[in-house]
This record gives sequence, structure tokens and C-alpha cells, in this order.
Amino acid sequence: MSPRLTWLPDVLRGAGLKVSLVPGWETRGTDTLGRILGVICHYTATPDASRNMPTLDLLIRGREDLPGPLCQLGLGRDGTYYVVASGRANHAGRGEWNGITTGNTNFIGIEAENSGRANDPWPAVQLDAYHRGVAAILREKGRTAASCCGHREYALPSGRKSDVNLEMDQFRQRVAAILGGIAPPMLIPAVETGVRGRPTLRRGDTGQFVTELQQRLGMPDGPAVFGPKTEAAVRAFQRERNMVPDGIIGPKTWAAIDAMRAV
Amino acid sequence: MFGSRILEVAIGIIFVFLLVSMICSAIREGIESWVKSRAAFLEHGIRELLHDRHAVGIARSLYTHPLVYGLYASEYEPRTSTRRLNALSRGGNLPSYVPSRIFALALLDIAARGTDTRGAASGPHAPELSLALARENVLNLENGAVQRVVLGAIDLARGDMELAIANIAAWYDSAMDRVSGAYKRATQKLLLGIGLTVAVVLNVNIIAIAHHLFRDDVERATLVAHADAVARDSSFITGSSQAQLTRARATLDSLRLPIGWDDVRLTPPWDTRVVRDASGAVRTMREPRLWAYVFEPLVGWTLAALAAMLGAPFWFDLLNKVMVVRSTVKPHEKSPEESSEDRQTERDRVVQVDRAVVVAPRAEAPASRPVAPAAVVERDLDADVDACDVAADAGTKLTDDEELPAAQGGVA
Repeated sequence: MSPRLTWLPDVLRGAGLKVSLVPGWETRGTDTLGRILGVICHYTATPDASRNMPTLDLLIRGREDLPGPLCQLGLGRDGTYYVVASGRANHAGRGEWNGITTGNTNFIGIEAENSGRANDPWPAVQLDAYHRGVAAILREKGRTAASCCGHREYALPSGRKSDVNLEMDQFRQRVAAILGGIAPPMLIPAVETGVRGRPTLRRGDTGQFVTELQQRLGMPDGPAVFGPKTEAAVRAFQRERNMVPDGIIGPKTWAAIDAMRAV
Repeated sequence: MFGSRILEVAIGIIFVFLLVSMICSAIREGIESWVKSRAAFLEHGIRELLHDRHAVGIARSLYTHPLVYGLYASEYEPRTSTRRLNALSRGGNLPSYVPSRIFALALLDIAARGTDTRGAASGPHAPELSLALARENVLNLENGAVQRVVLGAIDLARGDMELAIANIAAWYDSAMDRVSGAYKRATQKLLLGIGLTVAVVLNVNIIAIAHHLFRDDVERATLVAHADAVARDSSFITGSSQAQLTRARATLDSLRLPIGWDDVRLTPPWDTRVVRDASGAVRTMREPRLWAYVFEPLVGWTLAALAAMLGAPFWFDLLNKVMVVRSTVKPHEKSPEESSEDRQTERDRVVQVDRAVVVAPRAEAPASRPVAPAAVVERDLDADVDACDVAADAGTKLTDDEELPAAQGGVA
């Protein structure tokens, strides 16, 4: 069996999560992964809350002192998993968890977009996706919640990593609950309930509803395609209203757009 | 080639032996904590020492003496079976250790005041414990041989109580050395059994592992890096048996070795050969693959089991010694191997990561040459750099929402 994690997107989508494939993910990272024995949970420590996944480029390319990819999965603030690499990534550094010291070989690294500071609470949707994603991976690999750890817990010498505002014992409890089959995922309805029954729109969609959306958002006339620009505009709109900035127009966002016109 | 490949394969094998013996020792500890055979060996040794094979006289008096009685729970129930002791003999509730001083004090006390703890000898008017008293009442021991020893110890001490105690303790200690020896031999026998079971159950076939390591440069380098880290960490073979078991299993799992039954490829247990017989007709002949199917696993498992007998500390020491040898022949201090003349322009690119030297494939490998996988082995252990905690600084290009790839999923 190839050591590549080609199963990752399917497993995450199967858990009801939003998954975005970063072009080139299939071949990114070397082939030297071992058996997956767990997940290490990281956070990016980037304080930029105005963008969904500002460190994506950094995670792909790496830094001057550390070649990329720096993780297999990035987790955006809206709870979307960005599949960065299917091979080995430099995420672990030196450390130990459950007696395993080969973090890069045997652990999948997830980098969640968060500053890790007290004034940057984890968005509920992101934290929930974090739990579910980890649970889905552990289930696929037949491991228990004890196999996931925070980078702070893994890193040696202990204290090498500063404290994270991610409470890992709670985290594992949540993962165990999801593995135990409690709490099914909340999905965005595909169609709005009500008279108009507008469909849920997302990137790649076309049609009259997309045109209507673009007009409401005050975007210049263009092709009626839900492209990256429209998505970014939707995210900005949602962020302004403290909604989940996922760029998906579901029933709640439609309602917010209607409310805007009423004002 | 010696100094790198062969030495590294040896390191790999020693490392696997270390892990297997850790697993076996931990299992042995688990069994021991259940059957307590150490206690049975001790009790047997004391009986032999006191010339009381059936535990009816002085051995029983000693075990029921308050000083010793306090060392174990419930009643003294000596083993009645006449079979030879082995590492699975039940020790019941008896103590695993009796300190030599306690033994000597109890013996002197029995000699001086007798075995009965209910009478006047335990009351306020009991005579003071002295060597003279013990000598006078030595018949209390009711065992000629032990009386002789106690008398000797008392006489040699010339009135010094502490010296008499030390004399008896020394006599006891010499017997305990024999008990330890017998216990150790019994343990090794059991370890051989456990080792065989573990080797077969986990399919630790050391010959197959050696083959695999010899061929696969990447695996070998990874394993050596791993072994190196372990050799520096003396806490690896310490801790509770449970912790050791978990640690050894996890390490074995993390190495991608041909261990276990999952990846066993089932090929037909014979070779098929096409031959033409005397009449010219073509026949196929089957030749059983005895080596691959029978002897190799048997030998491989047995070797692993024998290794387990030697115990984890032995392998840990050996690993450290070999590591020292290796560090004196550091592969990356040697010049990369010269290619033949016509290929000198495209000399193998050597990727060096710490001590792991792996030869990467040529850019354009000739078709005849099998292409090795792109081989860069990074050591996690010393890589202190990692991704997070380094806030993207001013120079870093941040990804805008518009540049994000499209997402799927999450919608019913």
C-alpha cells in the first residue's frame, strides 16, 4: 500500500466536513510516511483574523529554515480543511507522544488558523471541524482519541512550545464522543425552506440566483459565475455580520442578504 | 562497504532484539506479578538452608516468627508439590525477599526464647536476649544442623551480638546467591518460551528483517537514526513493565519493518520448473520451497527468541557499544564513492542528513538500473524547527481569501 494519504479528502468529506484540495496535494511531501499512528494538532499563531487561511502559502512552501510542506492539513477559520500534502511534512520537530518519537513519519499534522492568544477565541465552527476531522482520521486508522495530541504535548524538551489556548483533554473527550457516535455533523441545507426555495450557492455555481447575489453584494456586472471574487465578497459580508465566513450562501446568509435590502 | 551497510544492518538487528526483549521481559514481569515464583524460590532456598525439606520444623517456625510473618499476608502454606521449581511455580502470599538481618534476628530469637509466642517468653519477665541465653537454649531450634551453625556464629562472635547477627546473615546471603542463580535460570527458560511465542505471534523473523534492511537504504537509515536516539536515552529500558511494553510496541510499530502477519505475501509454497524429460515431453515440476517456507522462519524466530533470553539491558549495552564503533567510522566523513569514468559527470548526488547517508537516484537513470525511491531521510529527533509558533512575519506572503482553492462538502 502506498504510504500516501490519498484517502484523506474522502474521509473528511465523509465526516460532513468542508474540504478544499490545494492543487498539487497528491504529490506534495515525500513518500517516506510510515504507518499513521495519530494526529498532532497545531495552530499557526498568525494573528490575522480577517482572512480565512492566511498561512496557506507558507504551509505549502515552508520557510527559509524549513522546507514545506509544513503539514498535511490546514484548517481555516470557517472549518474548511485545506489538503496541503499527501506525503510527509515537516510539522513535528523533536518530541514524544505515547512513546512515539517519529512525529513526521507517523503522525498527520493539522495546522489550524489561530493566533493561540486569549483575545482570539476559536470559532465554534472551526473547533467543531477540528474535533470531527481528527475523529474521522483516527477512525479510519483504527486509533482511539488517545492517539491525538497537541503539539505542545508532543514537543520535547517540554515547554519548547508555548501554551496553546486549545485544551487538549477536553479536545480528546470531544473526539472520543464523536468516535462513540454521539453528535452527528450539522450540514448546511441544500435548499432554503420557504416560498422561494433558493438553493444553497457556493463557488462554481452559475445561474440567475448567482446574478441576483452579485447584484445584492454590489459587485460589478460580470459573468454569472460564482468565482473566487464572489466568494471573497461573500466571506467579507459574512464576517461583517459575525456569521460563519465560509463563502457559502445557505439559508442563513440568504436571510441576511434579504435583511440588508429591508434596511 | 563495511562500516556502513553491514554495521548498520547489525545495529538494526540489535535494535529489534532490544525491542523484542523489552516486550518479553515485560510479559515475564506480568506473569511474575501473578504467580510470584520468586517467593517460591526463596521459600525453597530457606528450607534447603535450614535442612528442613518438608517445612515441618525450623523453616515453619521461622516463617511464622513475628518478624518474618509480618512480611506477607495470610497464613504460611508451604508448597507441598515435590516437582522441581520452575518460573511458573506459585509463590502464593509468601514474601519475595526476606532481609538477611531479619532472618538472623528471628533465628537468634527462636534459639533464645523458643517458638511459642504465647507463654512467659513473650511476657515482661522474659529473660533479656543475649548470646549466652541463645547458646544455652539452642535446642529450641530443634534442628541439629542449624544448631551447629548458630552455635558457630555465637562462638565466633565472642560475646558481640552484632557480630553474631552478621555471621548468620552472611551464611544466609551465601544461600540467597544460589537462590538468585536458580531463579535467573528458570526465568531464562521461561523467557525462551515467551520469546518464541512473541516471535511467532508478531512474526519477528530476524532473517527477513536483515534481508529487508540490507536492501532498503531508506529504511536502514531511518532505523539507525531511531536506534541512535534510543541509545542516548537510558530511560528507554527503565520504567514499569507496562510502560516498557507500550514503548517497545509503539517503537516496533513506527518502524516499517517486515514484522507481523498483515503484510505477509502468500506465494505458492513451491517453485514450478518446466523440464523436458527423456522422451522429449514437456512436464512441469514442483519443488517445495523448504527454505523460504519452513527453515527461514523457524531459524529467524528461534534467533529472536534466543535474543530475548539475554534481556533488554544486554542489548541496550551492546547497542551503545556498536554506536560508539559506528561513530568512529562516520560514513559521511568518507568521500562519496567514485563512479566509473564514463559517468563521472553525473556522479551520484549524496543527500546527507546527520549520519544517515542516502544516495539519491541519478537525474536520468539508465533504464537498466532500477530507480530507487527519492530518498531523503530526515531525522525528526534532532529537527528542532517546526512549523507553528512562528507567526508569519512581515516578509511572508499571506494568502488572501480570493486565492484559496474551492471547497467541497459540508452541504447536505
